[in-house]
Amino acid sequence: MAIHERSLVEPERILRKERLVVDGVDISGDWNLIILPRVINDYDLDFAKEIVNSPDGKTINQCYQCSYCTASCPVHNYWDERYNPRHFIYLARLGMIDELQKRADVMWRCVSCHKCTHRCPKGVLVEEVLKVILRTMAKKGLIDEYPSKKFDKFFTESVLEYGRIEDGELLFGWIEKQGYKVFKDPILKKPIPFIGETPEWLKQLTIKPLKSMNIDFLVLNAKHMLFHPKTKNWSKFKQVLRRVMQEEGALH
Amino acid sequence: MGVIGKRVAYYPGCSLEGAARSYDVSTRIVARELGLELDYLEDYNCCGAMESKNVTFMGTMLLNARNMSLARKQGHSVIVAPCNGCSFSLQRAEYFLETDKAVFDKVNALLREGGVDALDQIPQTYHILEWFYHEAGPHKVREKTRKPLRGLKVANYYGCLYTRPHFYARTYAHAGGQEEGVRPRRRETADDDEHPYYMNALLEAAGATSVEFEPMHTQCCGGPHSLSDEMVSEKFVMMILQTAKRNGADIIATECPLCHASLEMYRHRLMMKGVPDVDVPAAYFTQLLGLAFGYGANDVKLKDNLSDPLPVLRRLGLA
Repeated sequence: MAIHERSLVEPERILRKERLVVDGVDISGDWNLIILPRVINDYDLDFAKEIVNSPDGKTINQCYQCSYCTASCPVHNYWDERYNPRHFIYLARLGMIDELQKRADVMWRCVSCHKCTHRCPKGVLVEEVLKVILRTMAKKGLIDEYPSKKFDKFFTESVLEYGRIEDGELLFGWIEKQGYKVFKDPILKKPIPFIGETPEWLKQLTIKPLKSMNIDFLVLNAKHMLFHPKTKNWSKFKQVLRRVMQEEGALH
Repeated sequence: MGVIGKRVAYYPGCSLEGAARSYDVSTRIVARELGLELDYLEDYNCCGAMESKNVTFMGTMLLNARNMSLARKQGHSVIVAPCNGCSFSLQRAEYFLETDKAVFDKVNALLREGGVDALDQIPQTYHILEWFYHEAGPHKVREKTRKPLRGLKVANYYGCLYTRPHFYARTYAHAGGQEEGVRPRRRETADDDEHPYYMNALLEAAGATSVEFEPMHTQCCGGPHSLSDEMVSEKFVMMILQTAKRNGADIIATECPLCHASLEMYRHRLMMKGVPDVDVPAAYFTQLLGLAFGYGANDVKLKDNLSDPLPVLRRLGLA
């Protein structure tokens, strides 16, 4: 017999028996598959309260578990069945932290395509809610560092510092965080492509404009990599922004 | 038609000043040809894209409110952004500022503190495609076309955030569960939410042929995870490129620098791995419109595209 959303049941809770006799009646055959009951005795109701109190997470209480979000999710459908937005919302509302922690390795995988939010019949901002769940878990130290969080912080710090981002800096900075030894010039401490260690695909891509003699494109991007594009009149605003982010606990 | 305004604030976003320069240049060309005026938003800052909003809520609101305030200062009530990420961020801020009074008041107080004018009114943000379609429209494109894109089979790739989510992009009338006061209304200029067609219409008016591309036309390319989650992004891009190729497309038309960069980067990596049917090049829809309006390949900076659409266009005699 098929089990609905089998990925949500731990394998050790599924029992399959060759012969099963209950109260003297032989029910082998189709009825030999049993899911052992689950006992929940530790849950944290304050966890959901914190999510409801945040401006982008307050719609979580409108969820009626129809699973439209999961059905439309590309990560669930094309990558990993264990990524299940409906279930994450369910667990967060019950405050079952340990169950959420078991799924920590897939929970960050949301690609922010917003199909879930778009299709939700109850008006839950699903994508936002999932990110709030992750953010709250990270704030409470319930989840380890995950790749997208590293990148998000890296990106946000760049915005905070300069007011704008620069593609080359993001690309090479991220590669450096991945463990490649990027060569940097000694004065401005900016990465220089071609000399240091870079993945093969990136080398080939950076060499393309050179091959096609696209000089002004190269000059523009080199200029941006050396002298980061900045927003003028940024310093005063930056202080306010930094304070706001510190109040939210976003900067550490 | 003609409900958004011919002269709007133009928020290009960080990408368009660097690696996606070609999109900026070609957008200006197309706007000029269609008789529309872009007023560059002076001294703007990054919108926070899809990344900052995961780290800080109020910070992202502030980043976008600053841009809105700058637009108000320049006397605009409409902002146009060519990037899906930027238009999404601005529309998201618009949604929260409109529906949450507490957020609005706090943001205004912080803006004043940061040396920026408080918001007297919340400007509306439109994607540039929506603006082109409603202020110029296919008939104007047909009028201006001097070199039709005859024989070019295009897969129109819209990406996620052009029509989604309806709360921000206002592409859909219904939002159940929300209270009456905060329920978003469909914007009359908005594209169809599940089957967007504005880019198809504009490029077809310029002489191109659209290939069948559903449902990949709004499938995610990996977006904010294109660097941090390489395996998933690679798979998504593979699905998009293979669908385009197998449906007979010569080229993929994009309308977002993030999607474009992601498609080009993973196209190269997939080709290095020897994955079949992924060699469709990508070009911004404005570049293609620019070509149709009689501009040369160098005017619309086709060389900037790392996926190199030039051979395909040359073969068809279009560049």
